[in-house]
Formats: sequence, structure tokens, C-alpha cells
Amino acid sequence: MGGYGDVQMIDENGIRVDGRGPGDLRPVSIETGVIPVADGSARVIWGTNHAVAAVYGPMECHPRKIQRQDRAVLDVRYNMAPFSTTDRMRPGFNRRSREISKVTADALESVVLLEMYPRCKVRVEIEILCAEAGTRCVGLTAASVALAHAGIPMTDMVVSVASGKINDVVVCDLNKEEDNYGEADLPMGILPNSGELVFLQMDGDLSQAEFQEAWNYNMEAAMVVHQIMVDALKGGDA
Amino acid sequence: MAIPIVPQLLRAHLAELAENDERHDGRARWESRNTELEIGVLRNAEGSAKVRIGDTIVYAGVKFQIMTPYPDRPNQGGLMCSAEIRPVAGPNWEPGPPSPESIELGRVVDRGIRESGCIDVDNLCIIPGEKAWQVILDLFAISDDGNLFDAFALAGIAALKSAMLPEVKFEMSDSDRPLPVSKTPIMCSYHKVGGRFVYDADGREELGGDERIHITLGDDDHVHSLQKGLKGIFTENEFSEIMEHAQSRCKELREMVHNAEEAD
Repeated sequence: MGGYGDVQMIDENGIRVDGRGPGDLRPVSIETGVIPVADGSARVIWGTNHAVAAVYGPMECHPRKIQRQDRAVLDVRYNMAPFSTTDRMRPGFNRRSREISKVTADALESVVLLEMYPRCKVRVEIEILCAEAGTRCVGLTAASVALAHAGIPMTDMVVSVASGKINDVVVCDLNKEEDNYGEADLPMGILPNSGELVFLQMDGDLSQAEFQEAWNYNMEAAMVVHQIMVDALKGGDA
Repeated sequence: MAIPIVPQLLRAHLAELAENDERHDGRARWESRNTELEIGVLRNAEGSAKVRIGDTIVYAGVKFQIMTPYPDRPNQGGLMCSAEIRPVAGPNWEPGPPSPESIELGRVVDRGIRESGCIDVDNLCIIPGEKAWQVILDLFAISDDGNLFDAFALAGIAALKSAMLPEVKFEMSDSDRPLPVSKTPIMCSYHKVGGRFVYDADGREELGGDERIHITLGDDDHVHSLQKGLKGIFTENEFSEIMEHAQSRCKELREMVHNAEEAD
């Protein structure tokens, strides 16, 4: 991996390595009902990212000790398939996937009406089959669609997008090179109906002005992706 | 895997249907569900395939690593095959270390491919005694409605046949070359449901059934792997009947792999 700014990823006309302008999203497509045995499911293809999410439940809560008397437990797992990355990923949990599972659960718990299902469990399984960059955002977006598809009551769906900075230019929706060699990455989980946030992370180096610009890119992109999510849910199963 | 509750009603229902030579989804005894095969579906894998049999959906992905050959086989590379059935695939699959069921699946599919000799491990040597290719075939289920064995085996061989050795990435040459795969081993699985064997059992038939038998046949109908699983007793006559069906069905599935390869 190179140092900051030593790979040229955007030209003087603002065209990025994959031909996008600074504010452009990668192509996004969403399908529902892709896992027939699940209670709700979704596939999100975002650039070359390919994620599937399944929802099982509400069901009896096992093990008993995690059961809550006043609400349901949301059991979220994010995982990358061994063939999803350039170098094979060893199967099983690692620190990264555990953290992403946790922040994804924290985001979804903020919108799912868990108190409607006391003592129950809702399982959310996110599997990344092909990873490019921004898999946590793609996974969280897929999980939201799968929860809606399963008919789990929510106040809103979470749309997640990451913007960042490459060669001192703020750009929307980082791809793989930009994520690896860029200077900053700002993933956000946005509730499109209110503009509120349920998920926020950032690493890198952004000035106050750059931070605001990246924030605005994420907000605009979230509205675009939200429409695709709604269309997928209204369009019926694959 | 959580042990599902086997409803006695389901067992009784399946037995009743079997008496009239019927199945709960209207299929004939040797009929399979609709089977679809797609190859080259995942960009980051060096070879990949997706198989759908009814509501069972699996992916197979091939990755390569550089290994040091085993001291007793300095001119050979390696093949590793593993199956993962994560909780995404159904309500009864649980997180955690690989279950005995998924280990059995991976090993039975592995044996069929390995023993058919379709991958020439001598061809995978780079520098004798120092460097060789290790082929890693990962089988990954996303929806389990029965007969993961056949789905994995079909996706596995199709993914291998579409795999490219990543010689550019490892700075060994200017272009990638296809992984040589000389044969197409195919698996057919049978489940005893209501007292007689049926082909391609779905999730409910597996739940309310007894033992299962898996047969892998090569291009020339040679037998490369067999496995009997679960509690149950079967006769020689039952086995010959299965073997006869496997010979014709394997040909059809092999044709499907060849067609998908040509379309790719």
C-alpha cells in the first residue's frame, strides 16, 4: 500500500480512474427475495461489490441469556466469503468483521421497532460475496432492504454511503484504489426521510470544509440509493 | 446445525405419498428440481459458479495461493476444498466453527473431484521442491432447501473449469492461463423418503427422510466417490437402482457444465 497522495487517481478535469466525476456514485442495483428460504432477503450490487442479506425471525430467542424482557434482540452478522477478496480470506470471524457487525447492529437497532417483539430474536445475516470498497455500507444498505422485505417494522430504512478524499479532491463513493490510496474515508448511515444519522465512522485527514463537502456528497447519494431501494421493494421479488 | 424438530406428521405424510409413488411437490421419483448453472459470476474469484436447484442456492469460488510442495511430493501442487454453510443459508444453520455436516459436505465433494484426477497436480508445480500452486475451492451456501451436496459438487467443478491461474498477479508471466481440468466428475444424491430412494430430495424430504447416498461418477462412468450418510439400512437392489439412474443423470449434468463453459 502506498503513502498518501503518491498515486494519481483523478485528472485535471476531475475524471476518476473508473471514469466517474467527483460527485458520481458507482452503478447500484438491488433485488429482493434472492434467498428463498429466508423471511426477507436482498441482493445489492454496487460497482463490483456483491452483497446478500437474509433476515430470519422474529423467532424464539436462543441462547436464553441474551433474551430481553422488553424488546427483541437484533443478532447481526457481517461476513466476507473466502473468495470475495483479491487474496483469499480465511473463513471465520476476525476483529474487523466483529466491529462491522457491531456498528451495523447499532445502526439497525436505532430504526427497528424492537419493542414490538419482546423476548424474541431477529437474525440479520450479511454476506459479502465480492468486495470492491465500502462493503460495510453495501452490507448495511442490503440489511435494511432485507428487514423491510421481511416486514419487520422500522421507522425508516438506513442508507449507507462513504465519501472521501483522493489527491486533495473530495469525491463521492470511493472505489477500491481510492479507498486503498486515498487520504480519507467517511462512511455514514443516513435515514433518508429525516436526514438523521445512525452510523458514522471516519479515518484519514479532512479539513473542516472538506468534511462538510464529503458530508453533503453522502447526503445527496443517500437519496439516490434510497429511491433504488424503494423501487426494488415495490417491484416484487426476483 | 440446530437439530430441527422432525414432525411425525411430516414423516407419515411422506410415507403415505410414497405408497402411491408420489412426492409432496408433485415430482416423479427420479425427477430433479429445476437446475440452473451460471459461471464467472464473481469478479474477485479466479473461477466462480452459481448453482440453483429449486430453492437451494450455492456459490463456488476458486482462489490460488503459492505453497511449498510437501517433502515427499516435491513436484506437485495441492487442491483444497472446503464447504461453509453460514447461518445465512437457513433458520437451522448456526454461527461458529464448521459443523460436522459442513465438514462432511466439503470432504465428500473434495473426494469426488480429487479422485477423478481431473486436476493434474504435477502441472501445478512452479519450482520443484520450492513453489507450487495451491488450488483452493470454497463452497458457500446462501439458501439451503435440501441437496446441498449436488449443488456444491456441480458449482465446484464448474468453478474449477472456469478458473484462470493468476500468473500476472504473481508476476510470473504476461497473461493468465486456464487451470487445466481434464474431466468433469458429477455427483448425484439420493435420499430414502417414505421407505424408498428418491433423487434430489428437497428440504422437507431431507427433514422427514432417512439415509442418503451420494455417488460421484467420472466421464467414463467410473465411480470416484461414494458416501452413505445418516441412520438407515439399504439393500444391494436399491443400490443398483440408484447407480443406474446416476449414470444417465450424470451425463445430463455434465452436458450442462459443458454448455455453460461454451457460453462463458
